[in-house]
Amino acid sequence: MKTSSSTYQDTSIWRFFASVRLAVFLLITLAITSIVGTVIPQGESLQFYLETFGPNFFRIIKLLHLYDTYHSWWYLILLGLFSTNLVVCTLKRLPFTLKLYRRDNLSVDSGRLLKMPFKKEWEIKEELDNDSTQSIISAFKEVVGKFRERSDVDGGKLFLAERGKWSYWGVYGLHGSILIIFFGALVGLFLGFKGSVMLPEGEKIDQIVNRQSGEHIPLGFSVRCDRFYISFYDNGAPQEYRSDLTVLNDDKEVFHKSIVVNDPMEYRGVTFYQASYRAIPEVTVQVAKSATLHRSLTISAFQRALWPEEQLSFGLMQYQPNVHGKPAAQIWVGDQEGREGSFWLLKGNKKEFKKGENLYKISLTNAKQRYLTGLQVKKDPGVWIVWLGCTVLIVGFAIVFWVPHRRMWLWMGRRKGKITVILSGQTNKNKLQFEKDIKKIEKALDSSLGARQ
Amino acid sequence: MTFSSSYLFSLTTFIYLGAAALYLTHWIFRVQKVGLLATVVTVGGLVIQTVGLGLRWIESYQLGYGHAPLSNLYESMVFFSWITVLVYLIIEWQVKRRVIGAFATPFASLAMAYASFSPNVEDEIQPLIPALKSNWLIAHVVTCFLGYASFAVACGLGIMYLFKNRFSGASEGIIGVMPDCKVLDELMHQTIIFGFLWLTLGIITGAVWANDAWGTYWSWDPKETWSLITWFVYATALHARFVRGWAGRRIAYLSIVGFVAVMFTYFGVNFLLSGLHSYGSQ
Ligand code: HEM
Repeated sequence: MKTSSSTYQDTSIWRFFASVRLAVFLLITLAITSIVGTVIPQGESLQFYLETFGPNFFRIIKLLHLYDTYHSWWYLILLGLFSTNLVVCTLKRLPFTLKLYRRDNLSVDSGRLLKMPFKKEWEIKEELDNDSTQSIISAFKEVVGKFRERSDVDGGKLFLAERGKWSYWGVYGLHGSILIIFFGALVGLFLGFKGSVMLPEGEKIDQIVNRQSGEHIPLGFSVRCDRFYISFYDNGAPQEYRSDLTVLNDDKEVFHKSIVVNDPMEYRGVTFYQASYRAIPEVTVQVAKSATLHRSLTISAFQRALWPEEQLSFGLMQYQPNVHGKPAAQIWVGDQEGREGSFWLLKGNKKEFKKGENLYKISLTNAKQRYLTGLQVKKDPGVWIVWLGCTVLIVGFAIVFWVPHRRMWLWMGRRKGKITVILSGQTNKNKLQFEKDIKKIEKALDSSLGARQ
Repeated sequence: MTFSSSYLFSLTTFIYLGAAALYLTHWIFRVQKVGLLATVVTVGGLVIQTVGLGLRWIESYQLGYGHAPLSNLYESMVFFSWITVLVYLIIEWQVKRRVIGAFATPFASLAMAYASFSPNVEDEIQPLIPALKSNWLIAHVVTCFLGYASFAVACGLGIMYLFKNRFSGASEGIIGVMPDCKVLDELMHQTIIFGFLWLTLGIITGAVWANDAWGTYWSWDPKETWSLITWFVYATALHARFVRGWAGRRIAYLSIVGFVAVMFTYFGVNFLLSGLHSYGSQ
């Protein structure tokens, strides 16, 4: 069956890329090769692979990019072949489908009707009067609803009820949806970004580090974490992580939102997700040189606190929330000359330390956990294209398997010299329901024509 | 013993093991009455298990957690067993061939037995960790498990097909009572179509949920990847009938390989690989 005079359709390469055999081969290949990235840990440092797998296997891992299997050159080639296969197969089948779709099912003769999967013929002795004709047509209409008719077909009158012809396009929607999803993924890959940030309570950020490239991306606005909360069940399992966030534009507060896991915040196409948290101890100490000269300092873990006038710097080395029922901290002290020392402080007790000539008194006045909220930040303009593709995929699938193309014909006329009524039909899915429906018409026609045979 | 969900689930385990034995007896000794009894026992087990699932839901509210019984490995296996029996009974009712029960109900019995007796499976009602607190949880689990249950039945049909195909001469005996290869092939195809639709919906609801929770709809985590591998296998099975020489026996093999991939997605990933879905490690 040739539908096109062009020659590119006849080349063996075109036939190869249009074949379902290639589709089956690619699906099996994708299934097998996808296993690799679930067995070899992904996204670790090259050093990790060298130490874990040894130098020989490491060479293969590096060559085949098995540290990032699903973005490796050979996996992308497979996906490219898969897409090409789909496109070429679709183009090859399109003319056939168009022909089926455009076929005029009213231009058939009575001989064709008698070759259909379902057919029934009544031969009648005398002419049908108007009333009988009307009762036959209404019996047909009773079951099929809308129909079209054409007089003067093969010397008789033809009625056609056709349903679901459009379902031929379902398989195109189904296959096209895969390409839509691929396109949406590419849009996200090239126009979006993903990053993460640890944001201490009370502080704000106006840029993000891209997780893939490491470059800084300005947001164009700032986000402040006002508070982080964590709650637990009685059995100690975490119940909820929550961050109270504020969006600021030029230091003006735009809006507040509390985010929890599964309920992110979106602003200007950028979405902030509750991902993790860290608790950092923070202690407050009272340092006194004399009765009048003293200073209260807050020391966070990993940070220095300074008393510049006295040229002293303090650090928090260790923190114990509960020593004999009280918080305790190991404090580090250093001065300009490079002299340093450390000591433990229990809340409520005083200690003395010397630096050069001077004697200082120090006490621990307060200790608490300071939280950092871990946010995932992403922008993905392609995500709606992906959801569109998913919707088309499901709808296309349902059409392919559950929307039948049904045709039922009723013909009344003269055939081989006899007055004849023919009922015939065909469906491509759900034959049971079809037969139930057409048997109903047959029964009605039997009762009105049976006496005249 | 108190009237609790765990008591009803223990009872269900024994009822399903009995039902599987009855279906096997019906198939091997070809006694009609035993077949009818098998169906009655299976329906009874399903009713008891349904009450058990409802009770467990209520019990989780009494504990102050309040979530559907779909949140850990134990609950998901009970649900797998429940939905497999449901899918099988619908097929039995449609097709009126009880022989298939001998190849379908064992999956449900084994799932219940493993959930009840394995030391690896913690059967206490646990509170939901923050990542699981989502309206998508129920949609994701129900769609995935409808797919898994259909594939379990399709795997049973594939095994029957290979038996029937291997001893195609037999018109008598335990092979003779099986439906014809053509009937089995069509049933297997329909079941795979049904399962494939649900698996696709399961993957999509999982992607929507992941996008809500972590901001990425797809992160190639081992569980996601294995569900995609499973999807590729069944997509192959749907296309194989259009390739000359692939229809029939190869589709039966694909149906079995597909279910092995389902099992690996479900257990293998939890016990052998690490990832976001930390279900089985508890
Ligand atoms: C993973 C991606 C794919 C999915 C989910 C998919 C799905 C389907 C489904 C469900 C059917 C209907 C089967 C039936 O009527 O029994 C189908 C038919 C078909 N597919 Fe695919 N397909 C995919 C990829 C491909 C590719 C790459 C090709 C390229 C050749 C292809 C070619 C065909 C053809 C020719 C048919 C026959 C349609 C018909 O006769 O109605 N498919 N596909």
